[in-house]
Amino acid sequence: MTAEREVAVLKKIDVKDAVGTRLAHDITEIRPGEFKGPAFTKGHEVCSEDICRLQKLGKNHLYLIDLEEDEIHENQAASILAAALAGEGIAWENQPKEGKIGLHAAFDGLLKVDAAALAAFNMVDEVMCATLHSHTLVKKGELVAATRAIPLVMKRAPVERAAAVAAQNGGAVRVAALKKVRAGIVVTGSEVFNGLIEDKFAPILSAKIADLGSQVAGVSLAPDNETRIAEAIADHLDNGCDLLILSGGMSVDPDDVTRKAIRKAGAQEVHYGAAALPGAMFLTAYIGDTPLLGVPACGLHHRTTVLDLILPRILAGERIGKKELAFIGHGGLCRDCAECSYPHCPFGKGM
Amino acid sequence: MQSFDALLNESSKAHGHLCPGQVVGVRMAMLGCRLIELDEPTRRDQIKKLIVYVEMDRCTADAVAHVTGVKLGRRSLKFVDYGIMAATFVNLETGKAFRVLSTEEARDLACAYAPDVAGKGDRQLEAYRRMPDSVLFRVQKVRVNLDACDLPGPTRYKAVCSRCGQVIRDRREYLVDGAPVCRPCSEDCYFSHAREVSWPNMDWSPPAPSDPEPPRQAPARCGLVSVS
Repeated sequence: MTAEREVAVLKKIDVKDAVGTRLAHDITEIRPGEFKGPAFTKGHEVCSEDICRLQKLGKNHLYLIDLEEDEIHENQAASILAAALAGEGIAWENQPKEGKIGLHAAFDGLLKVDAAALAAFNMVDEVMCATLHSHTLVKKGELVAATRAIPLVMKRAPVERAAAVAAQNGGAVRVAALKKVRAGIVVTGSEVFNGLIEDKFAPILSAKIADLGSQVAGVSLAPDNETRIAEAIADHLDNGCDLLILSGGMSVDPDDVTRKAIRKAGAQEVHYGAAALPGAMFLTAYIGDTPLLGVPACGLHHRTTVLDLILPRILAGERIGKKELAFIGHGGLCRDCAECSYPHCPFGKGM
Repeated sequence: MQSFDALLNESSKAHGHLCPGQVVGVRMAMLGCRLIELDEPTRRDQIKKLIVYVEMDRCTADAVAHVTGVKLGRRSLKFVDYGIMAATFVNLETGKAFRVLSTEEARDLACAYAPDVAGKGDRQLEAYRRMPDSVLFRVQKVRVNLDACDLPGPTRYKAVCSRCGQVIRDRREYLVDGAPVCRPCSEDCYFSHAREVSWPNMDWSPPAPSDPEPPRQAPARCGLVSVS
C-alpha cells in the first residue's frame, strides 16, 4: 500500500469533451443503503447521454489512458495479484470489478492465510489484499479474500514483486479440506465409570466431531487409572481410529492421571498447556501420526473452548505442537458473552 | 557457490560477529551473483569478471565483499558512500549489472516472519534467513559506465599535482584553470590543517626474514596528521 502517486500517462479531459472516448476504469455509483457498484464499466464508449449521469456521479473530468511499455492497468494487475495469492482450494474469476478481484473458497474447509507473506505483500507499494482470519471455517463459494492494485495505472515491476511475495509456499491464501476421520472418545473419571454421575462429555464431543464432517467410531469410559485409560487408547487405535479425544483428568489433582496414561499408551510427543481460556489445561499428543487431544473439564460447560480452535486445524492436517498452542494466546481469551457468537467473534483469531 | 550457512559462518567469522546485516549481506551477494550469472565468483576464472559497488560501510558491506571475493585493492570492490543498503553487481564480460537493495519493510516484517524469536536482533537475524528474496530485496537492472581508469589492472594514467607535486593515479586529479590539482590541495578533502611532522623511531624497518624482530619501544605520543 502507499500514498497516491502521480502517473504521467494519464491525461485529464473535461467530461463534456469525452464523447467517443473509452473509460479507463469502472465508475462507481453509490446510493446509500441501496446500491454500490459500477455505473459504467472500463472500456465503455462515452456517448452524449452519459454526460449528465457522469456529472451527477461527481465526474466533471475523466482520464484518458496511454500505457507505457512497463506499465499495466489496475485490472491486469489485479489478475496477476489474484493468481499469485490464490493457493490450493481457492477459486477466482478473472473479471475485476472496480479493480478488485475476490478470492473464494473452492470447497468447504479451513482457511489458511500465510500471515507473514500477506504482511509482506501489503508492504509492497500500491497493492493490497485483505482476508478473513486464518483458521476460519469457510464454506464453498464464500469470499475469503480480495485484492486490488490501488492506482489506476502502475509499474509492472512492483506488481510482479508483490506477486512473487504472495506466491511463496504455494500462495498466501488457501483452503484446506477437512479430513473425514474416525474418532475415538475416551471419557475418563471414576465417578462416570462407576455410574455415580451421568457422562455429559461424549455427546458434546460427538456433536463437535460430527459438525466438522467426521464420525465417532466409539466411546469408552475409563476410571482414573493410568493403565485402564492407556488400554482404552490402545483399543481405539486397534480399532483403526485416526483421532483420539480424551476428556477429563487433565488438571492437577492426584486423581488426574490422563496425561500419564497418554504417555503410557506410547505417546512420544506430548504438549500440555494451551494459551487459551477456556482451555489452559488442553493437551495435544501424538502416537505415531495419530493425534490425541486432551480436553479439560471446561469443555463441559463452555460452548466454545480451545478445542474449537484446534480440532479444525487437526482435521485440516496441521500438526499441533508447542508453538501452535502458544501462538493462540493473542486473542485466546474468550469474553464469555451471555450469547456466544463464535465464530463471529475475536476468540482465537489473533494469529 | 557454497551453501548459505557455510558462507554466513565464514563471513561472520571474518567480520567479527554474526548479525542481521551479515545475513542480509550474504543473501544480497548470493542474489547479485545469481543475477549476473556467476556461480563461483571467487574462482580464478570468474573473479576477474566481477565488480561490486557497495553503497554503505556497514556489516552488510563486509558480507557482500566476503561472499563475492571482491577487494578494494583489486579494484573489484567499489565503495560509494550513499548510506543506502544496496550493492550493484557488474559482470564485466556480459555488461550486465543489477543493483540489489535491501527493503526497509523487511525490518517491519521481522515480527511477522519470526514471531517465535524474542529480542530485536535475534528476531531480525532469523527473519532475514526465512524471508524470500522478494521480501528482503528489490532489484534494479542498471547501466554502469566504468571508465578505463576504474578497472582492475595496472595504473593507466598518472598526473602530478601542480601545487604540491603529489602523484595522482587514475584520473583522480581535478583540473583548476587547466592544471592538475590533487584532492588535498583542493577544497574537496576529508581532512584539513595538514602539517608534516616527525615521529619516534623514524628509522624502523622490518627485520630481514631470518632475524628475530627486536623488541619495540613503547610508542610515544605523536601526530601524523592533525585533525580538527
